[in-house]
Amino acid sequence: MRINVQVLLLFSVFVVATCGLVYELVAGTLASYLLGDSVTQFSTIIGVYLFSMGIGSYLSRFFNRNLIAWFIQVEVLVAVVGGFSSTLLFLLFDRVASFQMVLYLLVSLTGILVGLEIPLIMRILEDRFEFKELVSKVFTFDYIGALLASVIFPLLLVPHLGLLRTSFFFGLLNAGVALWLCFYFSKEVKWIHFLRISCVASIVALVAGFVLSDRILAFTESLSYADKIIYSVQSPYQKIVLTKNEREFRLFLNGNLQFSSSDEYRYHEALVHPGLNSVKYPKKVLVLGGGDGLAVREILRYPSVEKVVLVDLDQAVTKLFASHEVLKNLNQGALLSKKVQVINTDAFQWLKTSQEQFDFVVIDFPDPANYAIGKLYSNTFYKVLRQAIAPGGAAVIQATSPFVAPNAYWCVVNTLVSCGFTTLPYHAHVPSFGDWGFVLASPDKMLPVNGQFMPQLRFLDQATFEQMRTFPKDMPARQTEVNKLNNQALVRYFEDEWAHYIN
Amino acid sequence: MKAEERRRFLKQSALALGGLALAGTALPGCGTEETKQVAGRLFGPSFKAGHLLRTGIRKVPARTQEVDVVIIGGGVSGLSAARWLQKNSEQRVCLLELEDRTGGNSQSGKNAHSAFPWGAHYLPLPNNSNTQLLRFLEEAKLITGYDAAGLPLYNEYHLCFDPEERLFINGYWQEGLVPNWSVPPADLQQIDRFQALMDEMKQAKGADGRFAFDIPLAHSSSDDQFRQLDQLTMQDWLQKQNLTSTYLSWYVEYCCLDDFGGTLAQTSAWAAIHYFAARRAQAANSDAHRVLTWPQGNHWLAERLREQAGPDLRTGSLVYNLEVADDKIVVDYLDLATDEATRLMAKKCVMATPQFVRERLLAKVPAAPKVNSRIFTYAPWVVANLTLNQVPAGKGIPLSWDNVIYGSSSLGYVNAQHQSVVGFPDKQVITFYYPIPDTSPASRQAVFTRKREDWTELVLQELEKAHPSIREEVEQLDVWVWGHGMIKPTPGFIWGPDREAAAQPIQNKIAFAHSDLSGISIFEEAFYKGIKAAQQILTS
Repeated sequence: MRINVQVLLLFSVFVVATCGLVYELVAGTLASYLLGDSVTQFSTIIGVYLFSMGIGSYLSRFFNRNLIAWFIQVEVLVAVVGGFSSTLLFLLFDRVASFQMVLYLLVSLTGILVGLEIPLIMRILEDRFEFKELVSKVFTFDYIGALLASVIFPLLLVPHLGLLRTSFFFGLLNAGVALWLCFYFSKEVKWIHFLRISCVASIVALVAGFVLSDRILAFTESLSYADKIIYSVQSPYQKIVLTKNEREFRLFLNGNLQFSSSDEYRYHEALVHPGLNSVKYPKKVLVLGGGDGLAVREILRYPSVEKVVLVDLDQAVTKLFASHEVLKNLNQGALLSKKVQVINTDAFQWLKTSQEQFDFVVIDFPDPANYAIGKLYSNTFYKVLRQAIAPGGAAVIQATSPFVAPNAYWCVVNTLVSCGFTTLPYHAHVPSFGDWGFVLASPDKMLPVNGQFMPQLRFLDQATFEQMRTFPKDMPARQTEVNKLNNQALVRYFEDEWAHYIN
Repeated sequence: MKAEERRRFLKQSALALGGLALAGTALPGCGTEETKQVAGRLFGPSFKAGHLLRTGIRKVPARTQEVDVVIIGGGVSGLSAARWLQKNSEQRVCLLELEDRTGGNSQSGKNAHSAFPWGAHYLPLPNNSNTQLLRFLEEAKLITGYDAAGLPLYNEYHLCFDPEERLFINGYWQEGLVPNWSVPPADLQQIDRFQALMDEMKQAKGADGRFAFDIPLAHSSSDDQFRQLDQLTMQDWLQKQNLTSTYLSWYVEYCCLDDFGGTLAQTSAWAAIHYFAARRAQAANSDAHRVLTWPQGNHWLAERLREQAGPDLRTGSLVYNLEVADDKIVVDYLDLATDEATRLMAKKCVMATPQFVRERLLAKVPAAPKVNSRIFTYAPWVVANLTLNQVPAGKGIPLSWDNVIYGSSSLGYVNAQHQSVVGFPDKQVITFYYPIPDTSPASRQAVFTRKREDWTELVLQELEKAHPSIREEVEQLDVWVWGHGMIKPTPGFIWGPDREAAAQPIQNKIAFAHSDLSGISIFEEAFYKGIKAAQQILTS
């Protein structure tokens, strides 16, 4: 049984309208994700898209014969361009000079093609309906399609299919309609063979894209960043991403925020000064982790310091912070200082074989989110650390949030105590991170803290540090297990507590 | 633009776009069909020596040397005997080892990224009653001290790091090897019941006041109610207890294959229960179930033994003749490197060889008791070491020390770099274990005739069950085939007459030391048997 030709064509209008709007929404969403500033992105994308539809409508006047064949052809093109648009944008982002150019080119192309379709279909149908009925029907289906698209896009498509699959899925709808029309009009249409092949080819390509979209996504994690990415590199150990908005720069390692330029001084002043200010005439300082050079910047404020050894696994990080203009400004060229020696190797291995002793050790490792890093917070590591601290010296350890992950924080404290350290736990509010914890540790007796901090510090003074040493009623000290290589208790605490916090 | 041109333009652009899209999506799928050639080598115990023995050696020794004790075999039991004699006597000891290195089945290799084991790779924390072993661990600095309660403090670099074990089951890496992920409640109940039974057995004592199951095995109770279990297979025992869960059976069989190279139907119930019920370690700084492990596996332990085994260790030495003449023992051996034969005249001899070697060497010793050697059966083993760009990630627990795949006929793999403090190694080295319990002649034949490519394929296919993309990561894959991997405790063997007869010294001159004589092939038994033989030599 043949379906009524009008019904079929009106259904095509509906599909074209739905797909068209979905492509527009995908482009808008992608642009907001990748470039930030969603208001600007959405309004410019919608504007360009609608304007391009206008161009398409204008161009429709140049099509005079074989209208159904042209309609099918345009439909296939929409399927391919629209279906692959989000994938292309994903892949090209951070690989082409002007991402915006590509973005608006794709949006225009889609707009033009969709804009061609409505006039074409009206002309195909013009002999089959009375004009007022035709206009009414076509636009009714057009707008119903638009409504459907705008409702299911945020509610169903993005959460369940994701952006890439959504595009491929609607590309498949377009191509499916085209193929259907091919069979329906096989007698009346010119170049039917070519059209069928192109339909099938595009369907194959779109299905492949749909199936492989996870792999494609794995290429880029750009979606995790709220701001514009100004630098991105994959080192052997991690993905390093630097983003920027009007106010600040942010550094991410494997998607985890390392610092924001707007408040990192709070973190690094709190990390370095309480301990280093208390060591008498510190000469040699060791920094483990902290390849951003921001802790080194604080250390170099002490004129007595003659040598800073920085051990960070990732050469890509230390190189970046020694060469990138913005970042060099941020750490005041700390990594280029003659006093600073940068060593790119595994910190545990290095410390185990090093014979040197240091007056102060700053430990700024990533959070203990996996077993590889958990080793760097173990009692075995701290025993090795003890050997590296000169008499009268101390070490400070960044120790995750005592508010979000109290067991993890106090596990670091208790592990240090189990190795014979005397500890001074303290914490500071760093807006980007929340309430953040540090542990000052002395191999023997706690050194008396010198509260006379240098006046040029922006955050830390004596009164502030007094507060930092106080843990309020909802954050008391806790008994925990000692973190050992053979129990990795810390990683387990950390995982439990942060998972709980995020959900 | 004319209509015709326009049409052509649109047509071409459509083709171009379609082609581009097709090419783009087709690319990732390409190339996976082609089988990548994997680099690697095939190793095994000295085939040359085996061949020489079969054809017979008729060399006349060019020189004769006198020693007090000759030890034949430089595996763990031979080294342990040498160490004991070195520490407790003034005897001049000479140890003869066929292979180029001592250590027996506890061998290891090394590449640019890591050392790795070719044999056994761990020592469970020993029972605190096993004081001889604890002394050795102190000497090897594996025990660094004792706490106030007298519990040993183990060296943290050698206590297995966390995470220790994971099991790939129902598409997920769960923590621990006892199946629980997506396992039906009825099976979980049976597993619990089994574990409760094993806990009971762990504490059970016989009428003689000894633990029913102990290490060394010789210290186990002689009470018949337990020893009778040696008559059953583990399969029969499970059936008798109504423990029929397939998940449980898999787990128990995995353990039998792991320690004995035998299936449930091949393994004595006493031996299998011994696996679960003989360990009662207590440590000051670890849970009881931990193991001590090293990148080079138990070769690390064998090397510590070797360091204490005295100065006269002769490797590459093939013993081809042994006679008892008057009050001397005559041992002729061939130096495989120089092809020179030497005669040793010794007062005493420790034979630390597997049973099939002993049988051959004792052919000219009339006083040797008749032992039914056919009851000594062995499981061949295949060990593979793979250098990978990285171990492919999977759902669940990340890479652990021991990684087992449910439903695989392998025993899974061990991360050779697990005890390294380095957080992010450039390459990863894993050691894959594959026992061959099938005793049919065809299967045994296959062990010796399969080519490296066949083993490579077998290893990769087993690993693909958990890591479908592992082929892409392999840089090197070496295989070691052990024809006689370990002694199998078949029913009736451990507490039968032949094992006991084979352990009896001959004329107070020849003592025997090998884990074959325990019936289970573990370091503790070999270590103990070596000391026992040395003591027999010294007291006689």
